[in-house]
Amino acid sequence: MAFKIASSPHINTRSLTSGVMFRVVLCLIPGIGAQTYFFGFGTLVQLALAISVALTAEALVMVLRKRPVMSTLSDNSALVTASLLAIAIPPLAPWWMIVIGVLFAIVIVKHLYGGLGHNVFNPAMAAYVLLLVSFPVQMTSWVAPQSLAINPADLNSSLQVIFSHSATMTSEYFQLGYDAVAMATPLDTIKTDLSMGLTATESLHKAIFSGSVGVGWFWVNICYLLGGLCLLKMKVIRWQISTAIIVSILICSGFGFLISPDTHVSPLVHIFSGGTMLAAFFIATDPVSAATSPRGRLIFGAMIGVLIYVIRTFGGYPDAVAFAVLLANMCAPFIDHYIRPRTYGHRSGNAL
Amino acid sequence: MLTLLEQLDKGTLWHSPGGIHPPGLKTTSNTQSIKRLPLAKEFIIPIPQVGDLATLTVKLNDHVLKGQMLTNGKGFTYLPVHAPTSGKIKAIEKRSSNHASGLPVLCCVIEPDGEETWTPLQADQASLLSNDAIINKIKDAGIAGMGGAAFPSHIKLNPASDINLVIINGVECEPFITSDDRLMREHANEIIDGVKIIHQLLKPQRIVIAIEDNKPQAVASMQKSIETLTLDDCKIRVTVIPTKYPSGGEKQLIQIITGNEVPSGAIPAQLGIVVHNVGTAYAIQDAVTNGKPLIERVVTLTGEQIGQPGNYWIPIGTPIKHALQHTAFQAQTQQKMIIGGPMMGYAIGELQVPILKGTNCILAPSNNEIGPDLPEQACIRCGECAVACPALLLPQQLFWHAKSEEFEKAASYHLQDCIECGCCSYVCPSDIPLVEYYRIAKSALKNVAHEKKQAEQAKLRFEARLKRLDDEKQAREAKSKAAADKRKQSMSSNDKDAVALAMARIAAKKKASAAEPGTESSTTANKKASVNAAIERAKAKKAAKAAQTDGPSVVIPSANTDTAVTDNTDVDPKKARVAAAVARAKAKKAAQANPQPEANLVSQSQISSVTATDSENTATPVIADSAEYAVVDPKKARIAAAVARAKAKKAAQANSPSSAQSTAEAVQIKTKQETTTETTDPLSSAVADNTQISEKTVIADSVDNAIVDPKKARIAAAVAKAKAKKLAQSQPKSHQPANQEVVSNDAVDNARVDTVQELSSSQPAIGTNEAPAMAELDDKKARIAAAVAKAKAKKLAQQQQKD
Repeated sequence: MAFKIASSPHINTRSLTSGVMFRVVLCLIPGIGAQTYFFGFGTLVQLALAISVALTAEALVMVLRKRPVMSTLSDNSALVTASLLAIAIPPLAPWWMIVIGVLFAIVIVKHLYGGLGHNVFNPAMAAYVLLLVSFPVQMTSWVAPQSLAINPADLNSSLQVIFSHSATMTSEYFQLGYDAVAMATPLDTIKTDLSMGLTATESLHKAIFSGSVGVGWFWVNICYLLGGLCLLKMKVIRWQISTAIIVSILICSGFGFLISPDTHVSPLVHIFSGGTMLAAFFIATDPVSAATSPRGRLIFGAMIGVLIYVIRTFGGYPDAVAFAVLLANMCAPFIDHYIRPRTYGHRSGNAL
Repeated sequence: MLTLLEQLDKGTLWHSPGGIHPPGLKTTSNTQSIKRLPLAKEFIIPIPQVGDLATLTVKLNDHVLKGQMLTNGKGFTYLPVHAPTSGKIKAIEKRSSNHASGLPVLCCVIEPDGEETWTPLQADQASLLSNDAIINKIKDAGIAGMGGAAFPSHIKLNPASDINLVIINGVECEPFITSDDRLMREHANEIIDGVKIIHQLLKPQRIVIAIEDNKPQAVASMQKSIETLTLDDCKIRVTVIPTKYPSGGEKQLIQIITGNEVPSGAIPAQLGIVVHNVGTAYAIQDAVTNGKPLIERVVTLTGEQIGQPGNYWIPIGTPIKHALQHTAFQAQTQQKMIIGGPMMGYAIGELQVPILKGTNCILAPSNNEIGPDLPEQACIRCGECAVACPALLLPQQLFWHAKSEEFEKAASYHLQDCIECGCCSYVCPSDIPLVEYYRIAKSALKNVAHEKKQAEQAKLRFEARLKRLDDEKQAREAKSKAAADKRKQSMSSNDKDAVALAMARIAAKKKASAAEPGTESSTTANKKASVNAAIERAKAKKAAKAAQTDGPSVVIPSANTDTAVTDNTDVDPKKARVAAAVARAKAKKAAQANPQPEANLVSQSQISSVTATDSENTATPVIADSAEYAVVDPKKARIAAAVARAKAKKAAQANSPSSAQSTAEAVQIKTKQETTTETTDPLSSAVADNTQISEKTVIADSVDNAIVDPKKARIAAAVAKAKAKKLAQSQPKSHQPANQEVVSNDAVDNARVDTVQELSSSQPAIGTNEAPAMAELDDKKARIAAAVAKAKAKKLAQQQQKD
């Protein structure tokens, strides 16, 4: 009888790409939960919308590319991209924004570059930047924390706001918005206040911070940190990128805070506000667009951390994760080219 | 700081990068002691099995004994092949090989007689043997590395450098395989005896027996057998290392035990380290102490599809099918049959292949056991492969370049340092068969290197050929140059001139014959001309003597016309001659018809001579032209001569007494024309080469000839004509003989003075180019004088005729 011929090795860990991706999504759950708790059901609506659009778009592209549809869909990479974008944009952003963003991420950023494994940029972050640049008002009008909102957004009203075709409906909400439904994020508030001449300390006394780094934001970040630690534990991600990001932000902001506490917010605000933890554990660690060698990953992470701090402090945008990640993505091939581990046998060995 | 040897004694372990922890699955086969299988129906012995080419020393149908050597050979890595049992050589033919390719190789097929009769064995006590004797015994026993690589052991036991550390590899890190485990458990003493022989050969300072911590019984057994062991100047210990794949790899084990890395492209012996497998140590002991060649080994038969998994002593050459049949193997669909472990073993397609010296395991796993082969998915650059790689490579980059067939780039990522352990493929979440890509890339690089080498050789050959051709060419040139120099040296300048002249003449003649096929053969003409010239020279000399001694002669004036003509042709023969002929004809006509136009005649002569001078000035660059002229000349000259002859005949008819002389005159003219034609050739060709002094001499010579010849000729002609005129004068009664005499005397005087001047000026003119011009001036005068004289003579003649 004929026996099956195959190249060694004949055994494999049963870890699969789809499993890797799915674990990423699983580890997002605590953060998503916290976000829903503090900012209403908008996040979940966006999530559902984003995932369905992402899977549809990916299937269509695979048909167009004449590739197997199901095996590609089942690698769960579109799921991760959609989830990351959905939790990154304001929960009550109009539906067409997430649709545009996801389509851009899947079709242009991912598949036009050759599909999974070939994209230069992190699809979610590229889409986020597209939306931020194209629709700055909507993208910077974050939902007020439920506890501060006069009119907390329940599921029904969230759906209404997101899917409302009427501009008046949306605008009414946003008109009410500034104090009612939508408001600036803590980082945005600080930025605005600092530009208005307030000190950082004064700014931090505003209600949105509630004496801390921002209502809700702290816990959301803590939850993403937990999820990230789970990823580390499961060896879905390696420690270098996340650690490098957090450490570099701490160093930069600590330095700034020491020099001028009035114009620089504390490292804690930097670490636990905005998208820092999400970026450190879920976005920057996207293996496709990151550096691959351990040392390269340290450099890659440190670069993101420094860029986040620099853009937040000196740039025009309140949060800077997306820009920092994209800029670092551009450098990843360069880093990979120059930072290579020393191969076994390529050092001068000492004889006995 | 402890020295490395002290750390070895302490059992310090170093970290080796990468590696994986696959499930061991060793208990399937390691619970029972090593058993034996019934003898197979046939044994397939590949020739050679290991190393260099071997010559078979047995024939078909020969009866062989167990352990009998079947081959001989001389190569560096040659290892003999032995009969695993006694029996008959049934066939010597190509059979499928125990290799992933399954390509047929030459095999010696033995049909056992079941007697198991041993060939006589030479048992020895190792400590009494010399190292060479031991090495020879090991070599003759055909011992190759038993860990799988099957490298001839005697080479590793006879290294060029000093060995400080011997590592006995009992790691056995691949899942499923337990043959070394069982061997260490059951034959620890024999292994240690083998280690003692290795120690005797290599004299290391330390011997470390390395065993993974998942084999505690083997560790205990080995520990026990070294307890009482003492070796000279050497410490031996069992070091337990943590279980990790691929710790059993030679380089990885060295790194774990010593912390040293074997440099890329080097062998451990360069670090003073040698690694031997426990199975090899056992075989060495068996070979040296018992004289038994390596004809059987422990093979693990394992996997869920084998009903009686375990370890078996199996003779080398036993078909795998036979071993499986006796261990209750059950094939399932899509069954994989793996030789070796699941990480580095290869799948075979056919079972009728032999067990070899390096075959440590036959794995027949169920599909559940090893998992299905999943389709390859896109690389997500997760970098897990880089984490797992024990060689610290970047497998995803290697894969990227190998897949896009950028093999050179893959090589720049140290593809050649890949040990193909399979860790990267094992951890890959996208199920990419990375090792397969690397193997393809490696063989492609090997091919490229091979082709490059060939291309370089071809280039060297080509360059060598070019150089050889060039050298030959230069040698040829040098040779011919030397010959030319020699010739030059041996040649006098005259010879050379002669050669040059001859060459020029030949060229001119070629052209002449090409342009004027109708002319008579120039050679003949030349000959004739030269003969005539010689005759005339002789006559001229005589005449000159006569003229000088005898004083004024009456006949000379009429000759002067001819002289003038000849002189003209000397320089521009055609025009001059034509003009002269015309002039002569006119003169004659005039002489016949009316004795008037002396002035015309003179002026024409002058014109022609001036033209001649001009053409002479331009003669140097126009060899071809002058040659052409020379060619054309004879014809025209002949025509002119013929015309003249005809006229002369007419004149003779009219005046019969002078007819003979007229004819003679015409003939002479012709002859002179030919003579001058002859002299013009060397002149013109020589003038072309006038850069050399010797050639100037030639010019001078030829000019001299041209001068002297016409002069002499003139004199001769004058003598001839004078005779003719004497006759003419003597026959008819002259009315004015005194007048004629006076005029003639004047002319003769002039002519003689000219001639003397010419003679005197031509001697110093040798070697200069002035000679022709000088001659020209003189000629002109002479011609004028001659023409005058002639005209007068003809007048007289006419008058006489009238009278």
